[in-house]
Amino acid sequence: MKQKLSAAMRALSILGLALCSSLSFAQDTDQGADEGRALFTANQCWQCHGHEGQGGAAVRIAPTLYPFVAFAQFVRHGNLMPAYSPNVLSDEQLRQIWEFVRNIPEPPAVEDIPELSGSL
Amino acid sequence: MTSKDKSEGVNRREFLTSATAATAGVAAAALTKPVAAQQAGAETGAQMAAVAPPSAAAEAMENDPPAGYSEQEAGEYFVKHPGSDFMVDVLKDLDLEYITTNPGSSFRGIHESLVNYGGNSQPELLTCPHEEQAIAMAHGYTKVAGGKPIGVLVHGTVGLQHASMAMYNAWCDRAPMVVLGGNHFDATERRTGVEWSHSAQDAARVVRDYTKWDDAPASLQHFSESMARAYKIATTPPMGPTVVIIDGHLQEAEMEGDAPTIPGVSPTQPPHGDTNALEEAARWLVEAESPVIVVDLMAHDQDGVDRLIELAEALQAPVVNQSGRMNFPNNHYLSQGAGAVAQADVILGLELYDTWGTLNTLRDRVHRDHQPRSRPDARVIDIGVKDLFTKSNYQSFQRYHAADLSIAGDAQATLPSLTEEVREQMSRARRASNSEREQRWRTAHEQTHSFDLDAARYGWDASPVSTARLYMELWQLVKDRDWALVSDDGQQSRWARRLWTIDRHYQHIGRSGAAGLGYGAPSAVGAALAHRAEGRLAINVQRDGDLMYVPGILWTAAHHQIPLLTVTHNNRGYHQEFMHLQRMAARRQRGIDGSSHVGNELNNPAPDFAQISSGMGVWSEGPITDPKDLRAALVRALDVVDRGEPALVDCVCQPR
Repeated sequence: MKQKLSAAMRALSILGLALCSSLSFAQDTDQGADEGRALFTANQCWQCHGHEGQGGAAVRIAPTLYPFVAFAQFVRHGNLMPAYSPNVLSDEQLRQIWEFVRNIPEPPAVEDIPELSGSL
Repeated sequence: MTSKDKSEGVNRREFLTSATAATAGVAAAALTKPVAAQQAGAETGAQMAAVAPPSAAAEAMENDPPAGYSEQEAGEYFVKHPGSDFMVDVLKDLDLEYITTNPGSSFRGIHESLVNYGGNSQPELLTCPHEEQAIAMAHGYTKVAGGKPIGVLVHGTVGLQHASMAMYNAWCDRAPMVVLGGNHFDATERRTGVEWSHSAQDAARVVRDYTKWDDAPASLQHFSESMARAYKIATTPPMGPTVVIIDGHLQEAEMEGDAPTIPGVSPTQPPHGDTNALEEAARWLVEAESPVIVVDLMAHDQDGVDRLIELAEALQAPVVNQSGRMNFPNNHYLSQGAGAVAQADVILGLELYDTWGTLNTLRDRVHRDHQPRSRPDARVIDIGVKDLFTKSNYQSFQRYHAADLSIAGDAQATLPSLTEEVREQMSRARRASNSEREQRWRTAHEQTHSFDLDAARYGWDASPVSTARLYMELWQLVKDRDWALVSDDGQQSRWARRLWTIDRHYQHIGRSGAAGLGYGAPSAVGAALAHRAEGRLAINVQRDGDLMYVPGILWTAAHHQIPLLTVTHNNRGYHQEFMHLQRMAARRQRGIDGSSHVGNELNNPAPDFAQISSGMGVWSEGPITDPKDLRAALVRALDVVDRGEPALVDCVCQPR
């Protein structure tokens, strides 16, 4: 019985740790996304990619289509876009921008937008 | 120069009769019409209405000195038959419907003749607050009217200087127009001061680098022949602007000497590609595994579109429309994106503005390098008129490309022969493969359409309004009407071409030519003028930076009651330049945080285009920032346009 209780306590502890960790991660993500939006705006990413990352003069980037490594590769070593070096955007700032764009909400589906679904 | 005795001059009745008889029009064969020999009987009703013979009383008034004046005094004070009256006859003979103008003293003589002698009809004067607008209006008009030009009347000096950028656009876009420039040749006849400043030894020199031809006639007969030549050259492919400088004295002085004649215009048949070369081109296309057609400044009218459909379907070859003109229906399954070029083994270029750029991409880096867009073994057939006429200074001819088969000729005129040759050479086996090709391109077309619809939903509810949302809100209101987009959507992610159904030539106006700002708004008004005659709804999605160059054109639209729905794509800046500044800052590792607006923004304060518009007499609403407000504003604006007036909705938008 004592062993069973101990096992239950351990399980609860692990769950608690996991919850705390998850909450902490969510807070970090939100904070990162907020800071990312500010960086996205200040560094004029929206001029080519749109305020919501929907694309325009350059490709759509939100909700992000790429893992961070690929995203960073595009920004640091762009083929058509200018290369943004760490002297201009640090790795941390770049990650915050990535956090922001990947958290931009998915828009309604085409079928749910009458102006578009009528052209299907 | 003094006025001559009426027995030596041109009798007004004979003069007017010649004017009416001289309206055989530009479509008729060349005619030479001695004015004095013309008699009544050849006039048309329309022309008679514009130029009626004088009554007996009027004739007596013109031929006798006015009461209270001696003959000598009358000769000092009055002119019976000014040269500019004959100039108006010439303009009527050319069937110019309109002349856009900003008034100027160097052409006050012909101005008066147009208004009083010509009755301000055929041509009708349209007032523009800037010569750049007058040219761009003519540019927009001719692109809608199938290459039929209108005239422009400006000062030969300051007016042509104002007009010059817009003329460069027209030159690059192969848009025909006949520009008249006032001048004062004889230095001893000039009024002191400004008339000297408004005179030039060689007035057309300022625009000669980007006009097809110019002249400065020394007599009325010379003027008559030069106008016919100017019209003929402007409308012969490759089309473009021509200039005739008209002397102030020639306009204002009494006509004298031999009676001038109006030669008429015999239209030049457009150049046609060499038959043997077309036979070879057809062989390459028929034998190709994957032929692709790329087309840019080709279709002059719907015939051009229809002819291209015939060729594309005969070959089952995709068409990449670079949209300098509306060349091909975007809802046709053979309408494909630029990526189709990559897999082509034979590429047929039709009136390409930039052949090299079609086949290569150049990266904007510290060291600019280029990469091919096409297969290394792809063969290129280039059909067009660009080699037939070009000039040296301005580099609009683009980078040199050595096509495998280069055929000089107007592509629209040449297409029927090429299609016929393709059909003759097509074997049964080759024809049998067409159904497989057709299915492949139908699938690709459907996939592209689905992709574009999906792309449009991103940012759908965003504020500022997404450009996709703007176009689709508009589309809901116009799709069941006879509409025409009189602006280029190239700066708005090409949403009209991606999402609307564009299947008529007149529904998309193409590009500006040289991307010189100040073209968009006035060319839209000029195009709307041409559409007005057809009762079509003209739609202009107007860039804010362009409108800031030429806001006065709104007044012209209101003054002349030209119905046009304008919706601004207002991104509050010169957006292209924002991106260039960003690129430079990134390249130099200085960052753009906080500095990109300098020199680029149209903000702080934001121009209130609704107020500007209403100040010009145009109904307006805005600024609209919430996409949910857009539809209702557009509906209200359309009500105004349907009453025959212009209207503007200011929509604050995403950058592209």
